[in-house]
Amino acid sequence: MEIRPILSTLLRSRTGPLLVALQVAISLAILANALFVVQQRIAVSQRPSGVVNERDVGYVFVRPLAQMSHVETLAQQQREREALKAVPGVLSVGWTSQMPMSRSGSSSSIRLSPEQARESATPAFYSVQPGFAATLGLRFVEGRDLNEADLLEYDPRTAGPDDGTPGVVVITLPLAKFLFPDATTYVGRNLWQGSEGRMKPMRIVGVVENLMSQGAGSLTGPYSVILPFRASLSFSRWAVRAEPGKLEQVLKDAEEAIRKAAPAPVRTFKRSVAEDRESRYRNERAMAWMLVSISALLLLVTLSGIVGMTMLRVAQRRKQIGVRRALGARWRDILRYFMVENFIITTGGIVAGLMLAVGLNRLLMAYTGMPRLPIEYMAYGAAALWVLGIAAVYGPASKAASISPAIATRTA
Amino acid sequence: MFRYYLLLGARSLRRNPALTALMVLTLAIGVAASVATLTILHVMSGNPIPHKSDRLLVPLLDVAPKRNYVPGLREPYSQQSTYPDTVNYLRSGPGVRRTAIYDIGGAVEPAKRDDPVIQLGGVATTSDYFAMFEVPFRYGSAWTPAHDERAARVAVLSPSKSEAIFGDVDPVGKTFRSWGETFTVVGVVGDWKPTPRYTNLTNGSGGYFNGEDQVFIPFKTAVSLELRSNGNTTCSRDSGVGYKGFLESDCVWIQAWFELASPADRPAAQAWLDHYAAEQRRGGRLERNAPNRLFNVTEWLEYMEVVRADNKIAVWLAFGFLALCIVNTMGLLLAKFSTRAAEVGVRRALGAGQGAIFRQFLTETAVVGIAGGVIGLLLAMVSLWLIRKQSQDLSVVAQMDWPMLAATFAIAVGAALVAGLLPTWRACQVSPALQLKSQ
Repeated sequence: MEIRPILSTLLRSRTGPLLVALQVAISLAILANALFVVQQRIAVSQRPSGVVNERDVGYVFVRPLAQMSHVETLAQQQREREALKAVPGVLSVGWTSQMPMSRSGSSSSIRLSPEQARESATPAFYSVQPGFAATLGLRFVEGRDLNEADLLEYDPRTAGPDDGTPGVVVITLPLAKFLFPDATTYVGRNLWQGSEGRMKPMRIVGVVENLMSQGAGSLTGPYSVILPFRASLSFSRWAVRAEPGKLEQVLKDAEEAIRKAAPAPVRTFKRSVAEDRESRYRNERAMAWMLVSISALLLLVTLSGIVGMTMLRVAQRRKQIGVRRALGARWRDILRYFMVENFIITTGGIVAGLMLAVGLNRLLMAYTGMPRLPIEYMAYGAAALWVLGIAAVYGPASKAASISPAIATRTA
Repeated sequence: MFRYYLLLGARSLRRNPALTALMVLTLAIGVAASVATLTILHVMSGNPIPHKSDRLLVPLLDVAPKRNYVPGLREPYSQQSTYPDTVNYLRSGPGVRRTAIYDIGGAVEPAKRDDPVIQLGGVATTSDYFAMFEVPFRYGSAWTPAHDERAARVAVLSPSKSEAIFGDVDPVGKTFRSWGETFTVVGVVGDWKPTPRYTNLTNGSGGYFNGEDQVFIPFKTAVSLELRSNGNTTCSRDSGVGYKGFLESDCVWIQAWFELASPADRPAAQAWLDHYAAEQRRGGRLERNAPNRLFNVTEWLEYMEVVRADNKIAVWLAFGFLALCIVNTMGLLLAKFSTRAAEVGVRRALGAGQGAIFRQFLTETAVVGIAGGVIGLLLAMVSLWLIRKQSQDLSVVAQMDWPMLAATFAIAVGAALVAGLLPTWRACQVSPALQLKSQ
């Protein structure tokens, strides 16, 4: 391999190759970081919510304009349940305080023992009535679902500070693993909730595979606790599972049925889980989309840079190529010359780019709280630019290789 | 001479249209990407009330129990104020005006049972709110401190809700029913859309940028109707029984604001807050002894992390992309100028100094920069339009303004000049004798 002459040529006219190597380096630095961010955002936006067949599940929210008493509210909940079950296409309904990814609902801190100073976690607190887990299709990996006997009757008008803790709860597997990293079974363990000196235990009776919290944050998203409450809150939220493909019509009819069942004017709205997912992760997807566009343009610009530089170098050396051809160099010798030359430049750029990528990542970590760039993204970026370099140089190099030896006999 | 250089530049660019187009386009793409991302960051981190932002202060006390305390750790319950503290702030706090704000939700009760229900989202606040935040009025005016005092059933509406309830008329003096009571409209706000919504960041109606406060009612009125916050309520301990227990609790759910006569009064306001906290501590509260903090508007927006990290990452990466485009253009210019060594040789031989060559080639580069700027601006507009389609939040912030327009051109021409410096310098190094000899 004739590396030596290539190297000495490169060293003699440095500016052009240096600029190309610099382009490769900058591209790699941006590409590796951008791909990493894109992957993170897409992974977050595609996390399962725990709801089986999301497109068949939605909910109807209802809030009476005038306040009702505890007894009236519970009776009204019963009427609403009957009305919803009578809607054609409804497979199952369940009362709940909140829904996954809906960005509205409550969270509360829990501890593993009453003496513990800091809370162990602050998971989403789903207050639900039986039917909720079945409606969403939550998959139990251990223990049982909540039932009628578990329900804690709760009146916020008269409830004291210590009345809001049911005896049993269901939690999600991710939360269980976070709270008890060394355990393999979780049923029977206690979570503690309440204020200092008045902590109350809640016994875990079931573990579901997953249930995304209302906020669906990137780290604590799947941390949820499901509590059995029959509460006379100022609103009801009804999770509804429709027959496959009929959700839109079913939700419309369900909202209408709820309005008809109300004794006085009510405020209502309906939403599907798919809509909540869409709006919750809109920013993540917008970011991914933007970075993918920038990465594509980036590769295009780098490609044009390499092609342009190679064409220029070929043009400058037409005569030398002709001389080499006349002295017996074959088509593929010339091609190989430019391919190798370009490979050296690209590789130099990639080595610099790997350092630049780490540097850019450190800057982003310091100023934006971005996590550390994993090594594989640098490898992907480097591979992409190597392939790009070879593809970019092939055209101009094969053109150079077909320069006629006769050129050598002509003057400038 | 400059005009002559411009002419030369234009002519030389025309001579090689493909190469020129490539340079202009490369610069334009780089400028568009950086301008689009920078515009979003610029609007997000904008100051919604620049002439007054250092006189409007948010006080924050850390009321959580001591045993959870990790000094310096940012916690969700340190963003708002408790009801008892708010009442004290309103009564005897520092500054020339004081107000309290919390997010409320409700609906207008329809006259007939089956009429559609008009939803209302807005804030409970005090009469000072409108003067403090310089809210313009289309009809009527703010309510008076007397209304505040007697918890009057009065309301100020946004233009959109006023029209939804009463149609396109002056509704002052008309009434509507909500929260089980009859409210009299005293005013309709004019065109007022602070970006970000700094007065009510923890709202339940759209977030930091999107949405609007549609109804304003007196703070005491809302409390007397036992309305809870529709935005965010965070309790670090249990509250007592019912609404009364909630009011007396250490739950935080209200935003308090002070307006100072001058920014120089801030130390006095801080002293007042420290004194107040010390007094409360003697009563057994504020056991953490954490710093008592005041934030002006810009500090508050920063504290509340109104600008998302993603937007900053996007700007960094887009400017990295611009750097790539600059290097690329540099390579293209180098190629272009290197083919003109003969021309330079002739000009030098005819008496042009190195400086003249430098100016000529730099002018040519600037022409490329301006062309790149114009196309980059158009591309940026298109990208912002695409970005606005992505979400309602982004539709508010992806808006070009005059400073960004100026910045676009500065970035474009600056980028072209940076790209052109090295090639131009190289062109100046041409030795006339050599060039003339080889001709």
